[in-house]
Amino acid sequence: MQKEILEIRNLSKSYGRLKALDNLSLKVERGSVFGILGPNGSGKTTTLGILLDIIKADSGEHFWFGQPPDSVLRKRIGALLEQPLFYPYLTAVGNLKIVADIRGVPYDDIDEVLEMVHLSDRKLYKYSTYSLGMKQRLAIAAAMLGNPEVLILDEPTNGLDPKGIADIRNLILEAAGRGFTIILASHLLDEVEKVCSHVMILEKGKKRYAGPVDEALAGSVIMEVAATDPEKLQLALKKIAAVKSVARQGENFVLTVAEDLHPGLLNKMLAEQGIFLTHLVVRNKSLEKYFLELLSDSQ
Amino acid sequence: MKRLIKIDFRKYARNRTFRILGLLYVVLVVFVFLVTESFLNHVISHVGKGSPVTVPDFSLYSFPYVWHNMTFIAGFFKIFLALIVIIFVTNEYSYKTIRQNIMSGMSRVEFLLSKVIFVFFISFAVTLVLFLTALFLGIFHTEHLTVALVLAKIYFVPAYFLEIFAFLLLAMLFAFVLQKQGLAISVFALYYYVLEPVVAFKLPDAIARFLPIKMITHLIDVPNSSLMKLFGVNFRETVSWTDVWGCAAYSLLFIALVYLFLKNRDL
Repeated sequence: MQKEILEIRNLSKSYGRLKALDNLSLKVERGSVFGILGPNGSGKTTTLGILLDIIKADSGEHFWFGQPPDSVLRKRIGALLEQPLFYPYLTAVGNLKIVADIRGVPYDDIDEVLEMVHLSDRKLYKYSTYSLGMKQRLAIAAAMLGNPEVLILDEPTNGLDPKGIADIRNLILEAAGRGFTIILASHLLDEVEKVCSHVMILEKGKKRYAGPVDEALAGSVIMEVAATDPEKLQLALKKIAAVKSVARQGENFVLTVAEDLHPGLLNKMLAEQGIFLTHLVVRNKSLEKYFLELLSDSQ
Repeated sequence: MKRLIKIDFRKYARNRTFRILGLLYVVLVVFVFLVTESFLNHVISHVGKGSPVTVPDFSLYSFPYVWHNMTFIAGFFKIFLALIVIIFVTNEYSYKTIRQNIMSGMSRVEFLLSKVIFVFFISFAVTLVLFLTALFLGIFHTEHLTVALVLAKIYFVPAYFLEIFAFLLLAMLFAFVLQKQGLAISVFALYYYVLEPVVAFKLPDAIARFLPIKMITHLIDVPNSSLMKLFGVNFRETVSWTDVWGCAAYSLLFIALVYLFLKNRDL
């Protein structure tokens, strides 16, 4: 079986003078939950749009399942792009029947996916009567219809309440457990961190990082320190080689330090200079920190 | 093919706008068919007063003339059908369901094809309505009914189908290119009522004749009723092959243009 489900080679796309995607290359392996992270306008939806033939790239190519893309391959991909898109005058079932006809899957699957997103009791109501959260859930149901091998979800928890968000996350994890490959675009770092095995960080259409989430998080430690004399502390911190960055947050300093700099060691080094810490916290590095770090590097 | 028909049927069958507009069209057209004769006779009997030529009461509905007369009259209402086509094609853009369709695994060509089928279906349905109404009117208004008489000018019916089909494809082209409903309807109306007539007026007849709307409407010329004879004008009573080929070529051209437009565009 093909190991790579998706390969992107040198994709570029401009809207007028704005470069939405700049020479993007990427591989997504079968069975991974692949997160695409980036601030608003970084090219996430453009990338996914190109993968789904909604948007035409200026240059570059991509391959689904090792083959040049076409509409037959697209039937093996379920997608939710940006916002739910349905016929307002049709019911949930009516809308899903159109999707089923396009995909060539039996109508029996419709009830099943509606059950999965908890829309069964409203399935015969018109789409126009749905709340935003319900529309979003219907779009997820449409994406899952016919058991596609790949799920593409662009901001799937947009407009959902906390319970809805938790439901969708469980749904994603469950689908990943069943061997689906999932491509998830989000600007919610926490979301990606919770569900993804791999991540790509996009900024202004450029790839800043791509790899396993664990690796993105490995390599350095975050510490938060404070002392009675902040200026003196800051000066001392800057002299320590193992401290990679110092950022002031009110009375506290947030440090990124090398992994071998043990908190006890740091405390000792500072004490030798006559600085006694009033506050020392070791934080686990989150994707959010990593993300902000990456983006601040480039500025 | 069957799949595409099914998909598009689902999109319209339950739509209230489609049902109402469709019903309205049928009621309107059948009503007009039924009253035209008495209306014209009324007018003619007034015009005929004091005329040196005696104008006989005549029937629009007798075979074989009923085919020509009814297809000509029905031709006036095709703008209404164009409206339906524009509304439903632009709806796919305003609901962005064209995206959903493509994402779900339709190719762009299939999407275009489904709309061509939709246009074909409308053309076929209105042709059927026309055929049945004209057939009944003819049967009840022809004195010496023979099969030969019924079939004599029945080729006006397929010609009418072609007229509607080509015309609706032009409307579809406007809808795909302009995408916004209000814009597409107004630009199409502007083209139909103002732009092309003005251009046609400026051009020499030999060239103007090949403009799309001209060509399509020319397919079925004004019938030669006794009213026309009264005015001393004489129109063509047959369908010319030039027009048939012209309309067929235009139909293909409109489809090809939409294809070229859709092929490389962001949706």
